[in-house]
This record gives sequence, structure tokens and C-alpha cells, in this order.
Amino acid sequence: MDGQAQIVVERVNHTYRPPRGRPVLALSDISLDIRPREFLALLGPSGCGKSTLLYLVGGFLPIEAGRILVEGKPVAAPGPDRGIVFQHFALFPWKTVRGNVLYGLERQGLPRPEREKRAQAFIDMVGLHGFEDSYPSQLSGGMRQRTAIARTLAIDPSILLMDEPFGALDAQTRSLMQTELLKIWQRSPKTVIFVTHDVQEAVYLAERVAVMSARPGRVKAIVETKFPNRDPSILRSKEFVEKVDQLWNMVRDEAIKAQEATGS
Amino acid sequence: MENVAKTAVRYLPIVIVMVAWEAIARLNLVDTLALPPLSKVAAAWFDLMRDGELVSNGASSLYRGSAGLLLAVLIGGTLGMIMARCRIFDMLINPLVELFYPLPKSALIPVTVLWLGFGDGSKILLIFLGCMIPVTIGAYNGARGSDHALLWSARSMGAGSFRMMWDVVLPSALPELLNGIRTALALAFILLVSSELIVSQRGFGYLIGYLGSTGSYEGMYAVVLTVALLGFAVDRIYQLLMQWLLRWRD
Amino acid sequence: MAGLEGQATDQATLAEAEARISHDALRRFDDIFRRGAGAFSILALLVAWEVFARSGKVTPFMLPPFSVVAERIYTDAFHGDLWINLGLTLYRALTGFFIAAIGGVTLGALMSRSRLVRWFFDPLISVGFPMPKIAFLPIIILWLGLYDISKISMVVFDAIFPVVTATLAGIAGVDKALIWSGRNMGAGERQMMWQIILPAALPQILTGLQVALPIALIVAIIAEMAMGGYGLGGAMMTASRYANSPGVFAGIVEIAVVGYILIKAMAFIRRRLLVWHTETAPS
Repeated sequence: MDGQAQIVVERVNHTYRPPRGRPVLALSDISLDIRPREFLALLGPSGCGKSTLLYLVGGFLPIEAGRILVEGKPVAAPGPDRGIVFQHFALFPWKTVRGNVLYGLERQGLPRPEREKRAQAFIDMVGLHGFEDSYPSQLSGGMRQRTAIARTLAIDPSILLMDEPFGALDAQTRSLMQTELLKIWQRSPKTVIFVTHDVQEAVYLAERVAVMSARPGRVKAIVETKFPNRDPSILRSKEFVEKVDQLWNMVRDEAIKAQEATGS
Repeated sequence: MENVAKTAVRYLPIVIVMVAWEAIARLNLVDTLALPPLSKVAAAWFDLMRDGELVSNGASSLYRGSAGLLLAVLIGGTLGMIMARCRIFDMLINPLVELFYPLPKSALIPVTVLWLGFGDGSKILLIFLGCMIPVTIGAYNGARGSDHALLWSARSMGAGSFRMMWDVVLPSALPELLNGIRTALALAFILLVSSELIVSQRGFGYLIGYLGSTGSYEGMYAVVLTVALLGFAVDRIYQLLMQWLLRWRD
Repeated sequence: MAGLEGQATDQATLAEAEARISHDALRRFDDIFRRGAGAFSILALLVAWEVFARSGKVTPFMLPPFSVVAERIYTDAFHGDLWINLGLTLYRALTGFFIAAIGGVTLGALMSRSRLVRWFFDPLISVGFPMPKIAFLPIIILWLGLYDISKISMVVFDAIFPVVTATLAGIAGVDKALIWSGRNMGAGERQMMWQIILPAALPQILTGLQVALPIALIVAIIAEMAMGGYGLGGAMMTASRYANSPGVFAGIVEIAVVGYILIKAMAFIRRRLLVWHTETAPS
């Protein structure tokens, strides 16, 4: 659309083909522009294809119809310019915290001393100093996700794809991690696409929220959610609560519609 | 100290069996030809060690066993991983694996002799063929279980297909692959000893048969016990290796 | 004790893997495409065998054509000793297997009930299990001669270990609540064993039997090969000695078919016995 957008999603369709059974139209006619260093949340009920859209941008799934451009170039395969963080961490269980963070740097071909230095810096940044030699199985859920975030940030992607990254954490850890993610993002702004079905999380973290409808997934509305500041105190402010309410109604409508569609 | 006592109590039954063996043989409760006293078996063991029979035959058994097993692990493991990652391979090879999986592996002994004669080659081929199936199945099941999020993570960090095989698929498959190899290890001992017993001019199995047919039953017992203890020790060492390789699991 | 339970867990992993294979096989059952590919690759193997054997690149001694081998099996079946050999091998393997099954479950149950029995047998079994027991074959021949009794004994000696360890692990894994509620309803020691503990441990016991059955077949055939005479193993050895390669390959095909049928039958029995059990639940 305009030269400003870093990621352009244009009229993308995606059909999910289960091994047995009928194919399902998962995404229908999705168009989105995402500006550099923007924090965008994809919000919707489960089954609306928001993760699928994220995987398409990541290059993990083939694009069947429409196109996705990143920095003006069509997406063909995953690349280190788009780092991804998964809900269930996707850490290599056979590697220590250090080994996990080092992995991407090794693949990028950095010389050893620089690798080690950089890995340590990111481990320290996410607050895992002292756990460098622990295996993921020895860490709590929050610590695992910190490791995953450090691993992804270490290779310095310009785009961060986050697939319900805090969905598997308990409530306290989740809110701590949200605050920390914002801090990291403010320190080194990256373009973030953040998939969630938690309305409050979307409003709190993102600058814009794309609300998606279910079956087939469409972008129903794009809502600005920029607030003057983002410390946790805004969670109780009037504007914040109103925004959450507005978005919650949209999502609820979709959830009900989706239920009726499967029920009938 | 307490641990030593505990271990002693735990393994006391083995000592009891050994003492009972010695006593039964010494008191002539059974024919000493059929059951020579344990002490005489031990003496025969030292004799066999001194004249080098045990060492030279053992060396050729170990060579055959490890060569066959190594081939089975390398080829079977690779095959299993490729089957798990490549649909066409899976569809073509899997039926053959399922066909050969229930084959009692000892049936291969005469065929390998037919092809390669009585020497090392036929034993290595036998162990390779017999042990490949459990390794392949282990690698296949393990590699199929590898998490696609791990594969995607590796790819997005810049790993190519070969690197993903090595960095993600292989370690994901490791627990089941190692179990498959453990089964193969036990099978290798069975196939090795029995094929040497039936058709061979060297090796532990041959030595057992030779000593038996010449009536040196004490020596025969000594070699049988050596093989049995070796099988036990190798399994235990392998278990330690497995624990170390899988130390990242909780 | 850790050793024994460790082995049993390994066995469980093994059986899980096997259960997965059979589950996959089942799912594949309705996948015509896959089945087509399966039939294709087996057929391709047979055709390749035939063509390769007739190409002149190998002598018929090294690899007789499949058609010759099939003819040999046919002759054996209608004018030869196939049924005697087959019957004897099955008799030896299965008798040994049943003795190992009954003895192994009994010993496992006794070990789980009595500390003394357990103390005595635990180290013997944990040391004996990983040993290549086939090495004892000449000793068993020395004791029992060359008749069926020695072959069956060898089978029992080899096949009993997985049954004992599986029974022990199965009983150790029985839900305590099940035992308490049984006691609560006033079940006696004997009733507890027959009506509660053994049925609850059945999935693992069957796993042990599934490990023991192929061992029984392998050992029966080795014993026959070593001792000669009638039986599939003995017949193969005789054929090999007379450089009768169609006989050797016929033996392989016959033994493969027997192994295939027995293992499938065992898996079928398992499914029938465990209809009440959700195989997916950790046993």
C-alpha cells in the first residue's frame, strides 16, 4: 500500500487440509499492513487461524493465494530476519540454556568469542544469570519462556513473531513476563506480531489490535490501542478498561458465532 | 559403609548359588563331569587365559559383534530417520520392515553361511541384518515424534535440512533410538554366540563347542560364564552410557 | 531393585513402541493409498528377487529364484516333512513359552508377595536377564541330552526373564486405591491376587509375554540348528550342510510366515483380553 509498511499481507487465503476429512478454509482474504517497529496483536477466539497467519508470515507454511511481502520481498521460507517464539517454548531439551541461546548464533556463523559474549548478554538481559548450565527440564515455565525469548532476540531479528507466548504460564508469571517484554521492546524496538486470545494482554501490550473472526478467519476490525504510557498502573485507568470492553464484545460475538456455526 | 553392607546383602543370593554349586559338586551329589566344581572352573579359566585361547577367540568374537552392530546402528538409524522424514521412503520401506520384524532372526544363520562361508563376513552380515530392524524401528518412532515447533525454530535460526536432521531430528529420536540399540545389543550377543556355536572355526561360541566336544567341561563352563558375564557387563555399561546421553531429561 | 524396575520400564518403552507400530498399522488399514504402496513394495521385492536371481549375476546357489523356492515349499508340504518339522518347532517353542509364562507369572507374583523370595531372586534375575543365555546351550545338552526336553528347557530358560520382570513391574504399578478398596470389601489374599492384582497387572504381563514369544521362537530354532534332526531349524541346517540352497531359502520363508502369524496372533489376543483397558493410559 504505502512504502512505510514493513510487512504487507495481501488477500491471503489458506485452506487447512486434515489428513482425513474435508478441507477447511482457515483464512479468507486477509489483508494487513504492519509498520516498522510496530507492536501488533492478532486477537481472536481459538480456531480463527491467527496462529496460521503468523506461520505464513514466518514462512513455515506455503502461501497458496495472495502474497506476503517482508521489506518488499515475497516470503518464501523461514529466515533469521523473523524470529519466532512459541507457546510451548520449543527449546531444545538436550541443550542447556546457554546451548539454546548459542544455537542460532552458531547457525549465523558468528566467531566463537563473539557468540559467547552475545549469548551471555541476552541471558543476563532476561534475568537468567546463574542458570546458564541448566537444562530446560530443570526450569520453571517462566524461565523456559525467558530462555526462548533470549534465544530469539540473540540473533537480532527485525521482526518478532510471538505465538501465544505466555499462554502456558500461570497468571502471576504471565503479568511479570508481559511487563518485561514491554521493557525489552522499548529498549530495542522491533516489529512484533503477537498472537493471543487474551483481550487484556492484547490491549496492554500492543499499539494496534487486529480482531479476527472465526471460520473462516477474517480481519474483522483493526483497533488502535496506543496509550501515553504503559506501566501496569494503566490497567485500572478508564480508557484502558473501556478499550478492553469494546474489544471483548467483538471477540465474544465471534466466539458465539463460531460456536453456533459448529453447533448447527 | 552402610551402602557396602546393603550391596552385600543384595547380592548375597548370588554368593549362595555359587557356594551351593561348589558344595553340590564336591559332595558328588551329581556327576562331576556334568557339573565340575566352581573352583575347578575358575582354574580352567586361568589356564585358558594363560595359553591365550580365550583372548584370541574373544577378540574375533568382539570384532564380529562390534562390526555388525556398528553397521546396523549406522545404516538402521539413518534409514529410520529418513523414513520418518520422507513420506515416499516411509511408504516403500515400512512394509518391508513390518515384514521382516517378526522373522526369528536365527533363521538367517544358514543363509549368511551360504553367502559368505564360515568366517568373519557371515557373522558380521548376520548381526547386521538381525540388529538393523530394532534400530530402524527405534529411530523411526523417535524421529517421527520430533516436535515441529523445534524444527521450525531451528529453520528460522538458519539451519538447513541436513543440519536439522543432525541438530533436531537425531536428538529428538535419541531416547527411542537408544532403546532400540539396547535390544539390538542383546540380539547381537545371541546371534554371535549361536552362529559361532553352530558353524565357525573361531570365537567364543566355537570355543564352547570345541571344549565341550573334547570333554573339557571345566573349560567349557569357564567360557560360558565368561560370555554370560560379558553380556551382563556390556548391558550395564550401555545403560550408564544411555543415562549420560539422556541426562537432559528430567 | 532399581535395576529390575529399570529393565521393566525399558520393556514398557519397547512395548509402547510396538503398540504404536500396531496402532499405526491399524490406522493405515483404512488408508488404501498406503496399503497399495505396501503391497507394491512387497510385490516389488519378490519380483526383484526373481529377476535378480535369473539375471545370471548370481549363481542359483547363492540365490535361487523365488519360484524355485515356492516350488520347494509346495513339495515339502505335500510330499515332504514340512508339517512334521513345523509341528515339532511349534511344539518346542510354544511348550517352552507356556511353561515360561506360567512359571514367570508365578515367580513374579511370589516375589511381589514375599520379601524373602524377592531378596533371593532379585539379583539372580537382574544379572541373568541381560546375559546371552544361549551360551548355556551346550551345558543344557550335557545335562539333558539331545531330545525335546533340552530344547524346551533352553526356551524356558531364555523366555522366563522378561515375563518375571514384567509381572513384577505390573504388580508394583497396581493402583493402591484398587488394593485398598479390595481389602475394604473383604477380599482374602488369594482373591486379591486372582481378582484384583493380576487383572490390573495384565497389560504389563502381556507386554512381557509379547517380548518372550519371539525369544521362544528364536531359541527353539537355534537349539534345533545346533542339535540337528527334525524341526524347521534342523531342516534348514541339513539343507545348508548339503548345499541345498532352495531348502535354506524355503526354511527362511516358512519360519518368517510362522513368526508373522504367531506375533499377529499374540497382538490379537492382547486386544481381546484388554478390551476393558484404554491402551493409551500408562499402564
